[in-house]
Formats: sequence, C-alpha cells, structure tokens
Amino acid sequence: MSELINATGLACPEPVVLTKKALDSCDDVTVLVDNTTALENVKRLASSSGCAVDVTEELEGIFRIRLKKQQSNKPECAPSQTVQGPTVFVIASDSMGNGNDELGALLMKTFLHTAIDLEHRPDVLILYNTGARLAATDSGEVDDLKALEEKGVRILVCGTCVNFFELGGKLAAGTISNMYDIADILSKAGRIVRP
Amino acid sequence: MKDAETYCVALFEAVSHVMKAEKLLKEAGIRYKIVPVPKSISADCGVCVRFLPEHKEAIMEVLQRQVRVIEIRNL
Repeated sequence: MSELINATGLACPEPVVLTKKALDSCDDVTVLVDNTTALENVKRLASSSGCAVDVTEELEGIFRIRLKKQQSNKPECAPSQTVQGPTVFVIASDSMGNGNDELGALLMKTFLHTAIDLEHRPDVLILYNTGARLAATDSGEVDDLKALEEKGVRILVCGTCVNFFELGGKLAAGTISNMYDIADILSKAGRIVRP
Repeated sequence: MKDAETYCVALFEAVSHVMKAEKLLKEAGIRYKIVPVPKSISADCGVCVRFLPEHKEAIMEVLQRQVRVIEIRNL
C-alpha cells in the first residue's frame, strides 16, 4: 500500500506528524515538502523508523521524498520485544549526569518533562538519594511527576531518603517505599534507564 | 488539562542565561517552567523558560537589563 502526502505550505512539525501517521498504516509513503527544514526532519524520521529514503527535487524548492519501510530494519530506538519485565527509570540524584550540578539540575528538569510524552514511558520510576527531593512540594519537578502518575507510571520514593532529607509531609507525588520493594523491582526489571 | 492552556516561551542565547533567568524568576516568585526548546522552534538540544501569557510583563520586568532574551514565542 502506498500513500502520497502533500505537506507543502505546512509549518513544522506538521510534515513529520503526517508522515509518521502514514507510516503507521503504509509501507511506502511519498511526501511533498517545500522547505529544507521539513526535508531534513522527514529524512531523520525515515532513518529512525527504518525506512529507505529517496529524495528528488521536483520544482525549485519542492522536494519529493519517498520512504519505503525495510523489512529487516527494526527501528533503532524501540525496545526489543523479547525483553521480559517492566521498564524502570531510576532517578538516583536530582542532577542528570556528573560534573556540574547546576547544569545537571536543569537537565533533570527537562528530562522529566520530556518523559511525560515519551512513546515508551516507564512502568515504574524510582526516586532515591537526592532524587527523592524531586517529589517534594517545593521542587520544580513535582508537577511533571504528577503528570507521569496520571499517565499510569508508578512512582516510588525511597523512605530512608525521605527521612534523611526530612521530606515527611512534603511529598506531593509518588508513594513512600522501602528497600525491599525497590530492590525487588530492580531485580525483576526488563530495562533500567538511569538518566 | 494543562496541555490545553496556551503558553509562551522565552528563548535565550546560552544555557547559562537560562540558569540566570531561572534564579531571578525564582527570587521574584513568578510561576515558570524550564522545558526543552520545542522541536517546532529548533532541533537543537536547548532549554527555554515557559510561562503563562499573563506573566509576560512581570517576567520581562524582572529580566530586563539582567539577562538578554532573544525572543518570546507563543506556543
């Protein structure tokens, strides 16, 4: 089955959104775009979804992009279907990465915000050590954690850490948990993501 | 749902400017949120400050002469 999409005159990210939708039901999609940003974005989508891509310039500034799904090419980013067990995000610190904590805090904010709309959201998110602080009422991340919970992500906050940082009564997201549950979930996880 | 609200984002030249702006806005007690720069604006791995349109003037007041805002965009 093939489909032709005329995405000329459409603003970013519409061309990509339309192409992605078409690829869900078709193996062979042709898209017309009228700018190089859209061209690059659609090409990037092609490579991330395992498609062969062929570009021809129709008229000046109008590009015809043909995307063909490759049978053997599984999307690079999708988790393997064979993995058993839940996906667990471990937030072991209120900083993402090591080196500069101020930058790390900023990165963690944007990570948690982005996690809400991920295609593969975690089943469980565990907050420990300074990561537990993120669930407190006065943290800038608590709204994003609440949004994740609304989307069905189970959030566990390390009870020892809540005690250590004196966060009792200040938690606005997640459930206080203990090392038995945390160790149990980690040991049964199919994938552990630690940003 | 929050998604239905309309927001503005303030774009800055550098991550360090975003950090400085965050500090100033926190001190001023204005509601804001640090979010990744929406893909529709730029494919770079940047961050920006998101806020409700009604806070725009207060935010510009706090930031003026302290941090340079490149642009304010409506989402």
